[in-house]
Amino acid sequence: MIEGYTGAVMKKDSIAKQAFSMAAPIMVGYLFLGVPCGILSQSVGMDALQVFLLSALFYSGAGQYMIPNMWLLGSPMAAIIASVTLVNSRQMLYSASLSRFCENVNKRLAFLYGATVTDESFAVNVVKLEQGKWNIKGATLVNLFSQSAWALANVLGVVLGSLLTVPTALASFAMTSIFLCLLFSQPGTKGNIAAGVVAALGVFLAKCVGLSGPAILIGALLGVAAGMIVVRKERVSARVMD
Amino acid sequence: MSWTDFALIGLGCAITILVFRTVPLFALRGRELPAWLSQALAFIPPAAFAALIANDILSPGMFDAGLWPAAIPIIAAIIVVPVAIRTKSLVWSIVAGVGSYGLLLLI
Repeated sequence: MIEGYTGAVMKKDSIAKQAFSMAAPIMVGYLFLGVPCGILSQSVGMDALQVFLLSALFYSGAGQYMIPNMWLLGSPMAAIIASVTLVNSRQMLYSASLSRFCENVNKRLAFLYGATVTDESFAVNVVKLEQGKWNIKGATLVNLFSQSAWALANVLGVVLGSLLTVPTALASFAMTSIFLCLLFSQPGTKGNIAAGVVAALGVFLAKCVGLSGPAILIGALLGVAAGMIVVRKERVSARVMD
Repeated sequence: MSWTDFALIGLGCAITILVFRTVPLFALRGRELPAWLSQALAFIPPAAFAALIANDILSPGMFDAGLWPAAIPIIAAIIVVPVAIRTKSLVWSIVAGVGSYGLLLLI
C-alpha cells in the first residue's frame, strides 16, 4: 500500500516536473512579453486587478496588446471586439486538432485544457501528444504554468510600469524559434512540406490583400488543403502504378 | 477606460475566444471521424507552425525600412533550422535564434 502510494506521488511529481521543463522556455518568453503588455494596459487606465482578470479569463497575447492599442486609437467597442475575435479565430484549428487526444479525459479537465491553449503551449504539447509520450493532465499543467507567467508579468508591468525596460523583439523571436524548432521536427513527408510552404505563402498573401487579422487562420487552412491534395495525388499515382 | 468599458470589451473578447478554444474540441471528441477529416486534423500542426513563423517574419511592408531590417529575422530563422533538425531541442533552438538575432541587430 505504502509503496503504491509513494509510487503515485512520484509519478505525479515527475509529470509536474516534466510539464515545468516543457513550459520553461514559454514562461521566460511570456515574462518578457507580458511586462510591456501590462505597461501598455496601464496607459489606458487599467489597474492591476483588471489586467489580472484579463490574463486569467481572456489570456491572449495578441488580444491583450490589441485592446489598449485600439482603445488609444479611439476605435469603437464593437470594432475592438470584432478585430480581436478575428485574430483569435485560429484557436479553433488548435481546438479541433487537440480533440483526438481528449477522448478518454473527463469533461472538466478537457474544458480547462482547451480553455487555456495558446499558440506556444499548443505547439509544445501537440508534438509530445502525437508521439504518445504525453497526456492531457500534463499538457494542462504546461498551459497553467505558461498562463501564470503571463499573468504575473502583466501585473508586474502595471505595478512597476516604465521602471522596467524589456527586450521585446528578442523575446518575441524566442517564440518564433519555438515554432521553427517544432516545424522542423515534423516528419519531412511530401504532404507536410506542401502544408508548410503553402501555409507560409498563404499568410503573406492574406496580409498583402489586407486580411492581416485572420492571416494565420487563412494560411493554415490553405496549408491543410495543400497537404491533403498532395496525399490524394500520391494515392492516385500509387494506384496507377499497381 | 471605465469599469463598464473594460467589462464589456473584456467579456466580449473572452467569450469568443472561449468558444473557439472549446467548441471544436467538444464537437469532435470521442466521435468516429471520416478518414479525410482525421487527415486534415493531422495537417493542422505543421500548417499552423509554418503560418505562425511566416506571420512573425513576413509582411508586405517589411522592406519599407530597407533590406537589412527585413533580412535580420529571416537570416536568424535560417540559422535556427539546422540547429532544430540536429538537436530537436527547444532550448538550443531559442539560443541559436535569439543569439543570432541579437548579434545581427548589433552589426
